Amino acid sequence: MAPELAPMAAVAVMALVTLGTRVGGLWLMRFVPLTPRIEAFLRHLSASVLVALVLPAALTGGTAAWLAIGVAGGLAARRTPILPAMLAGVAAAALWRAAAA
Amino acid sequence: MTTAGRYAGRPPMLVTPQGVLRGMREMLPLACFALPFGLAFGAAATERGLAPELATLMSLLVFAGASQFAALELWVEPLPLGALALVVLAVNARHLLLGAALAPWLLPLPPGQRHLVLAFLSDANWAHSRSAFERGARDAGLLLGGGLVMWAFWVAGTAAGGLLGSGLGDLRRFGLDLMMPAFFATMLVGQWRGRADLPPWVVAGAVALAGVWLLPPGWHVIAGGLAGGLAGLLLEARSRGA
Repeated sequence: MAPELAPMAAVAVMALVTLGTRVGGLWLMRFVPLTPRIEAFLRHLSASVLVALVLPAALTGGTAAWLAIGVAGGLAARRTPILPAMLAGVAAAALWRAAAA
Repeated sequence: MTTAGRYAGRPPMLVTPQGVLRGMREMLPLACFALPFGLAFGAAATERGLAPELATLMSLLVFAGASQFAALELWVEPLPLGALALVVLAVNARHLLLGAALAPWLLPLPPGQRHLVLAFLSDANWAHSRSAFERGARDAGLLLGGGLVMWAFWVAGTAAGGLLGSGLGDLRRFGLDLMMPAFFATMLVGQWRGRADLPPWVVAGAVALAGVWLLPPGWHVIAGGLAGGLAGLLLEARSRGA
């Protein structure tokens, strides 16, 4: 391959692989009957993916991360709309870092 | 009513311009926070020797931040295409779960619409749309609109970062690195249905944390998601069977 084409080829490979992951999961589900059990699995799967995204971020991010997640989640649990809840969490974390620095 | 028998009783899904606009509007605030990360990626890519045009093209076509940062680590001449493909697959394999989890709502769509809305799937618009679908939204344009606005800011940020350098210094200063975790936390709270949810969540959390140490980058999300999903399924099956 001509050297100047290699970066373009690399980007194309990355794009195709990523597109495959985006459409592949739903494509596989075409072959799985959507029984109540499978729906229960998918529902718990969704919450579990969120847990798996949040918890490691909290544990590796220190106090600021706990504050951001705790404040945002706590406000959301009290029916605060998502955006203010999220911004309050991030602001709390930023204040904590400013105070700690 | 829907045509396919397996979806009998569900209102039909559709994709409308109004849904796309609503998705864009509702995800716009979060998309603004994709901008600094795009800047950071553009700057990092330029430092790594990528032309700004190439970095921008990558964001345009790949649109998956974590995998793009991971690819920079492998960006040495001659470019290892196989290794790049594997790393991108590993980091983005969680999309498979996200797409599968939307099956009850997206499978009834015609294939063209299904693939169009999935082409812009990312964590944030997935969480947003899924929660809206569960609350009764029937317009899959939400997913597309949310994805499009995240994509636009990610690409614009990359282009600016490649040309100007990041110029923001440390993203951590303003807590920007915690925007996504805070958003996912609010989405997670919305999923809570009662104490029966606690055991699967604990399983998901424990497996995800173990995966952070034991698995290649990104796979802890897959392991935690599958483990929590299975735990929830088994617990529900047991309580129904008892």
